[in-house]
Amino acid sequence: MNKISLEHITHRYGDNKVLEDFSFSFEEAKTTCMIGPSGCGKTTILRLISGLEAPLKGIIKINETVATENENILIPPHKRKIGFVFQDLALWPHFTVFRNIAFGLKGRKTEKVSHQVTQILNLFGIADKAKKYPHQLSGGQKQMVAIARSLVHQPEIFLMDEPLANIDVKVKENILAHIKLLQQEFRFTMLYVTHDHQEAMQTGDKILVMNEGVIEAAGTKKEIENSSNHFVRSFIKL
Amino acid sequence: MGGRVNQQLARYVPALLLALLLLGPILALLVRWLSSSDDIPLLAFINAGTLLLVGKSLLLSCIVAVLASLMGTICGFLLYRLKFPFRGFYKILLLLPLLVPPYIFAVAWKDGFQWLFSNSTVINPELGMIIVHTLVLFPLAMLITGTALSQIHSGLEEAGLMRVSFRKMLVKIVLPLIRPALTISFLLILIISLSDFSVPAFFGVNNFTTEIFTQFSAFYNHQLAISQSFLLVILCLILLLSENRYLSDAPFFSVHVKGSSTKHYSVHKGKTILHILLWILLLVVLVLPLVMLLHQALSGREILFSRAWELLSPTIYQSAKLAFLGALLISAIGFWVAFMKERSHFPHLNTMLLLTFIIPSTVLGVAVIKFYNHPSTNFIYTSILILLITYVSRFGFIAARIIGNGIKQVPVSLDEVSRVIGIPPIKRFFSISIPLLLPAIFTAFVLSFVLCLGELGTTIMIYPPGTELMPVKIFTIGANAPLALTSSMTLISFGVTMIFILLFFLMGKLIFKRFRYE
Repeated sequence: MNKISLEHITHRYGDNKVLEDFSFSFEEAKTTCMIGPSGCGKTTILRLISGLEAPLKGIIKINETVATENENILIPPHKRKIGFVFQDLALWPHFTVFRNIAFGLKGRKTEKVSHQVTQILNLFGIADKAKKYPHQLSGGQKQMVAIARSLVHQPEIFLMDEPLANIDVKVKENILAHIKLLQQEFRFTMLYVTHDHQEAMQTGDKILVMNEGVIEAAGTKKEIENSSNHFVRSFIKL
Repeated sequence: MGGRVNQQLARYVPALLLALLLLGPILALLVRWLSSSDDIPLLAFINAGTLLLVGKSLLLSCIVAVLASLMGTICGFLLYRLKFPFRGFYKILLLLPLLVPPYIFAVAWKDGFQWLFSNSTVINPELGMIIVHTLVLFPLAMLITGTALSQIHSGLEEAGLMRVSFRKMLVKIVLPLIRPALTISFLLILIISLSDFSVPAFFGVNNFTTEIFTQFSAFYNHQLAISQSFLLVILCLILLLSENRYLSDAPFFSVHVKGSSTKHYSVHKGKTILHILLWILLLVVLVLPLVMLLHQALSGREILFSRAWELLSPTIYQSAKLAFLGALLISAIGFWVAFMKERSHFPHLNTMLLLTFIIPSTVLGVAVIKFYNHPSTNFIYTSILILLITYVSRFGFIAARIIGNGIKQVPVSLDEVSRVIGIPPIKRFFSISIPLLLPAIFTAFVLSFVLCLGELGTTIMIYPPGTELMPVKIFTIGANAPLALTSSMTLISFGVTMIFILLFFLMGKLIFKRFRYE
């Protein structure tokens, strides 16, 4: 079943066309990795799906419901049940780790919020950092907090915009293992943007190779490896 | 659909109201000037005398701009790029003249000339104005070039040092990189010097701003004052258009500069000479004026000092109250304008504030009087509202740029992530935006406060009945009173300003410590 469908999306920033008649469907409870050179439209797709931006043309459906139609955002970001981890992590610098995660868990009793936050902190092994501020954490710990903050809301769709860039392989593997475990438990649909084709091959159930706003290839790891597309072969150095 | 219309209304209605309040007077002045052809031909005021006055005003301000920019650039390099003990101490003290109303320094230096030569008129008034404006405005150039120097990545200089000598690297790499900052510091100082009324008025310099004031307030020749005002507006507009791109963004009005990748050069030889030079500068800029003021104030014996206190004390509360209200309004409007420019891509209000910022003080005074002196707007004209509107016109741009640069340093994603998890806009504003921008908002508030506290050029023309303000009182009393009385009053005014600066400095330390996240 398709969780998210993008139909004939065209989008531009000023005179720069980022996406051109782009159509693709993301399968439910699966991980789709998007790879491609800088400026090929990967981040734009995440921003359009999240409802932070509207395309010039096209339709975005979530759970078969039209969420965005052309320039009209019909379902606002917070009603799309989305978790978004930004490239710069976007941790609020004036909040502690605990408050960063608890902020937005509204309408619930304090003890329940506290329990939820503690649970996710334990899951990522950073419970001892609850009272620290973001600037007191290492790069890997910050990434854990950003991911925990998005997952505590139990999203149905989880968007990750290269949040694991510039950290060492061991920490990266550890974080990805955590996310995989959580995905098996909560069955969320994950879209993962990366520059690293090896990471994409390891993480994704499906891989989407993009270039200049269009899809060059899409499929499983094997299908991508067997692709005859010249750009795909040179980009992932087959 | 309805929501979008409401959004547009919420954006444009307050914007139009602000434009009417601030730009209305200037546009009305233009209309008045253009429609005055029945009595006086449109360009009749342009005669040899007027042109000579324009030339003189421009020449004086140009000299000030060159000297202050040169001094500021040298100090900017010494204090922002060299590594030596007490750098921060020198930086704070040398920036102080920028926070103290310029008329205080004018009185101090006038006292100094009196003390040294037993006659304050022995020194040419124009020279006096150049000295005071240069010493008061060079910290602005220091701040601008210092900020620009702090933003040069160390790699650029190090790559240069691999090939050429230090001196050549400075000339060929650093100077071209800070050229925009040099241009802007020159231009800003030129505009401020051209626009200032207090220093030339205290020295008795006949330049364009004082001439407009004289024609308007002393000879009641409103038509000539309006015509002359417009010539000055056109002059400032030409200056503005020449460097609009740099000024409208004003990158130098930043609360803090991320200078971690900046190269700081250690001073091995010549450290003592550097300290001696900086102490001489401190002496001339700060200590000497204060000593001269003290000497003159105390020469009039105790009775004159108590008379000065008697005269000035009722104005302190009113001045502080008005400066506080002005600063509050300026910061709020500055925040709104900055937010509209940086986050809503609506830069027109910022451009409008830039326009009103460059209008010389006495010109603004003429425009505001002519616009608001009507039965329908009498509630503005006869209350402190007229002063508050003028303060926003004069200093709103500075506040908007300080806050705007603060907003630029806060990633948009911090707001977006709270949108995704469903934080309501009001909560987002108070929990995310305000705490993150508090240092910038506070800086804008403090700067606006000291600027409002010392504003004289427009205030003296428009202050409503029943309002007594410090600079106006000193200026009006100073016209006929003995120099010692004026000096005593100026010393009290200096003390009051310093107490507020100290208070804000302590508050700022708390705020910056609590809300700095690095």
